[in-house]
Order: sequence, then C-alpha cells, then structure tokens
Amino acid sequence: MRIENAVARGRPVTIHVDGTPVGAFAGESIATALLAAGIRRLRESPRAREPRGMFCAMGACQECVVRVDGRAVTACTEPVRDGLSISLVDAGR
Amino acid sequence: MTAFDAAVLGGGIMGSATALNLAWGGMRVAVIEKRALGSGASGVNAGTLSLQIKRVALMPYAIRGKELWATTAKRLGVDVHYRVVGGMTLAFTEAEAEALRTRMAERIAAGAGAEMITAARAGEIEPALAGERIVLASYSPLDAYANSSVTGLAYRRALVAAGAEVREGAPVTAIDRAEGAFTITAGGERVVARRLVLAGGAWLKGLLRMVGIEMPIHYRVNQVAVTERTRPLFKAVIMHALGFLTLKQSDNGTVLIGGGWQGFGDPEAGGGEVDAENLVGNLRLARYAMPALAGSRIVRSWAGYEAHVPDFMPLIGPLAGVDDAYVIGCVRGGYTQGPYMGQLLAELILGREPEMPLFNPNRFNEARAAA
Repeated sequence: MRIENAVARGRPVTIHVDGTPVGAFAGESIATALLAAGIRRLRESPRAREPRGMFCAMGACQECVVRVDGRAVTACTEPVRDGLSISLVDAGR
Repeated sequence: MTAFDAAVLGGGIMGSATALNLAWGGMRVAVIEKRALGSGASGVNAGTLSLQIKRVALMPYAIRGKELWATTAKRLGVDVHYRVVGGMTLAFTEAEAEALRTRMAERIAAGAGAEMITAARAGEIEPALAGERIVLASYSPLDAYANSSVTGLAYRRALVAAGAEVREGAPVTAIDRAEGAFTITAGGERVVARRLVLAGGAWLKGLLRMVGIEMPIHYRVNQVAVTERTRPLFKAVIMHALGFLTLKQSDNGTVLIGGGWQGFGDPEAGGGEVDAENLVGNLRLARYAMPALAGSRIVRSWAGYEAHVPDFMPLIGPLAGVDDAYVIGCVRGGYTQGPYMGQLLAELILGREPEMPLFNPNRFNEARAAA
C-alpha cells in the first residue's frame, strides 16, 4: 500500500491498534498507517451503527476519529509515535 | 403611509407571540427586529421546558406556556422539536438536598407535577447518571424541551401567514409620538402605528429610553455548549438543585449543556462571548453528573443575554405616562412562558380581559418616580 521507490521515510515505529501491533513510519498520520495496514473501518456512527473511516483527510469531517489514551482524536491529523496505543473499539462514540 | 394598529419592537419570543396574537385578533401588525426573529435569547437558550425549575409565583404562567409549546407545531405550522422526555433535578450534597426539598415542596404544591425520588430511582430512570453521587432528586415525567434555534423560523412563518408585516435587520433609532400615533424610525425607514409594544429583550432599556423611560434593567450572559453526536446516553432533561446545570440529548445524539454559567459582553456592543473558565466549570459539573460525557468533545459554545429587573419578575403591561405603549420582557424562564405571556398582553391590547394578571411594568420606573 506504500510507494516503495524514491520516498524518504522516517524511522520505523510500531503502534498498537486494539492491542495488535501495526508497523508504521515516523512522520505518518495514524490514518495513513492504518490505511497502509488495510484497516479502513475506524469507527461506527453513533446512532445508526454504520462503519465510518477516513474521508476528508484534513481534520474537518471527524469521520476518522479514534481514541488515543482515552482521548478522541482525528486519525488523519495525529502523527504516529512509537508505542502509541489506539482504540477503535469505542472510537467516536 | 397607512398606520399599523400596532408596532412590536423586538422579534424574540415575547414580541413575536404578542404580534401573532394581535394579528390573529384582527389587528394590522408590524414586527420590527434589529437582527432576525429569534436571534437573541429566544433562539440561543438551551430549550428547557421544565415546570420544576419555575418559581411558584410564575407557575400558573409556566404551565400555560408549556401547554402552548405542546401545540406549537400545529398552531405555528413549523416543527419546533417539542419532546416530552421527563425532567430530573439532582442534589449532590446534603445542603443541595435540603434546598431541593424545600423548593420542590412549594413547586409541587403549585402544580409542577414532580415528585421527590431517591438516588436509586434516579439511577433506574437514567442509568448513565452517576447514581452514587446523587443524594436526592426530583422527577417529573411532564418536563420537555424544544429546539430554540427554530423559534425565529417558526414565528416568522406564522406571522407572515397571519398577515403581519415582519421587518428584520431594522434597528430602531427613534420613536416619535404625534397626533395619536407613533412614528418608528428603523433601518432607515419609518413605520407609523397607533400602538407601541416594546419587546426588546436585553435591548429593552434602550427602547424605553426612546420614550423617555428609565428602568433598572440588568442582564445575565448565559452560556450553552453542545457536544458532538454521541451514542444515546439519556432521555430526560437533567438539571441541578442550585441551577448550575441543564443537560439534554437531542434526537441527533448531540448533548446540549447549559446551567447559566456566565460569559461576558454588553448587549449594546454586540453578541455575548463565552468565558473559558466558566465553560470548563460547566463541563466539569456535567461530567460529574454523567461520567460518560467525558468521552464526547465539545463542538461549539455560545452565550446569550437574559434581561431582568431587581425583583426578577416580569414587566408586562401598559407603560405609565405614554398612552398606547406597552412593554413585555424580563421574564426569567421566558422561553417556556413566552408564548403565553405574549397571548396575555395581546388580550389586553385587543380590549379583552387577560386570562391571568399581568405584571405592572411601572414599579421600577425611575424617571417617573423621580418626577
């Protein structure tokens, strides 16, 4: 899912998505890392319980909200850090 | 220029309801509003329609006002999202419980339709509440809310349908009286009317000055905040024994958080502003009552002006010393009572006996008292 040639990346980091380790690179957003790992369903809509994921990719639409340390953040604007623990289970509710 | 039977200055709920009832009563009415109908307190308040937070002296008016809200969609032709969801007032300390017990005993006797309930019962009705923090509560299945942001829309449509003239974006700059009529200069145009109704809400003081009357009208700057859409957490309107909290969850899942925490601003200078520290205090209390709210972010907060006089009772009736001029305002809990207060004043102006007593507006008339 990532472009492999002619791209300078940050150092490799590991983030944890509901406890599962996912590889990423420093400088990427959480949403980028999750998309590259094939994780597109980031939350459920609060009432209809329908799947939601990254849409605007610029911090406006709130569709990609996940929880980091219990805090709701837009995955598209939040950078990854090594050891970051992300929860999709209750994201956006 | 043909004269209107009445010009109503101020298109909040008080002025709009008065004008609508005058129009329904056969009068030619003009509503003159500096911004848009319902753009002040009538459109930015938290929408609570609860009898248990009303003062005993105003209970009969609040009961009738709430009845009118229940039929607003039918009467005005616009859905105002009126929902009967029940209402609960919470006491978190023994002192709050004592205050709640005393106050509710009077209000229940006055017809608030509430009962005292235990913390356990409160937790059964609304499981998302922090039951272990509640000492005592009162509950009424009759309490309701409506969406205040559609107040202006609803009244505009009804006023136009009733044949009233609605002039928005027209701040009043002068009121002249000659030959048995008022000439009102507003937004650069003139309106002539035989009767004058001053319904300016937090801007009432300035309107009264234009007819030579000085009154000690003060205002509060009440803050409201709203969360992002959240899973269904609770149904009832949640309130606090000392009045510092209102919580309600709309159909769309957003939670409206109010309680009269103070922002800052001056009605003459512009809109009210939110005080960040008071917003945080309001949110802390909200989260204390309902811990699950900690997971929701605030999307927006705002502030609105609520006018009052020193005894916190309404000003509704004819103005002494200015023939054919009336005032309506300073009704705390005015959102609930507005539709009825407007009806009462219209009954008087139409020459009928008002169903309930009005509120002498001249008791604080400083200029006249000094004269």
